[in-house]
Amino acid sequence: MSNALEKWSNEQVALVDLIDRVIGGGVVITGDVVLGIADVDLVYLGLRLVLAPAHEVDQSIPLGRRSA
Amino acid sequence: MMLLYAIVPADAPAPEEHGLAGRRLETIRSALAAVIVEERPDHPRRSNEESRTFVEMICSLATITPLLPVRFPTVLPTRSAVLAELQAHEAAWRRRLTELDGLSEVVIRAQWEDPDQEIDAASHTSGTSYLLSRAATLQHHEATVAEISELVRHLTCQIKVLSSQQGIRIACLVANADVPQLKDAILGWQQARDDRQMVVGGPWPPFSFVVDQEAVNA
Repeated sequence: MSNALEKWSNEQVALVDLIDRVIGGGVVITGDVVLGIADVDLVYLGLRLVLAPAHEVDQSIPLGRRSA
Repeated sequence: MMLLYAIVPADAPAPEEHGLAGRRLETIRSALAAVIVEERPDHPRRSNEESRTFVEMICSLATITPLLPVRFPTVLPTRSAVLAELQAHEAAWRRRLTELDGLSEVVIRAQWEDPDQEIDAASHTSGTSYLLSRAATLQHHEATVAEISELVRHLTCQIKVLSSQQGIRIACLVANADVPQLKDAILGWQQARDDRQMVVGGPWPPFSFVVDQEAVNA
């Protein structure tokens, strides 16, 4: 079989799925959530109002809430 | 600022672990529920390492109390802000904690021989062939989801199809006692189909089921 996950063990694939669940699942509350992997912000989800690539909404985020 | 870890019952034991920033985890309690938090001076780095450590801590906490994991990384500015959120949602969280007690999440991933390679090849011929190839791939995905869902339906309380860039992923809400049986069912199914790579992850805290979506949709 040839696919992108072939070189990974089942345990590693399961760990990827687990991490995916902790940043993609879970309780969402009224707070600021920045989803990112390897220190690259992917999505900014603020106050459950915005769901878009971070670079597109970053300009609208008040300075005090921008990620470091 | 306060990094939120999980919603737990109001009478849950206080965790002894230290958080990502090395601070002792705290439990902020209200009448019906509580929130496990860590006070920290800065925002989490959101690196792979912190995500992994966070998820390991959630799994560790789940061994001592039922919990609803909070999406990582969620921060609130103060204890009072955490308490306000808790008091606003504690009845719903308490109800969901009760519903999920004794249940875990299992994620089934199925992949097969390079479905996307066919699409790439077809895309070089014509738009029609690309669309036909794409439709065939989606039909294959849907048929596999239906087959696996039917296979495990009698062992699950809820099933949710997750997004996936390759193959399919299905999250199942399963009674803890039924997890081995579900894994055996998937293993047996895979052995009859050697063209597919199957990975079954879990049991984990119910990340995908913190909200009763069926009740929301009703």
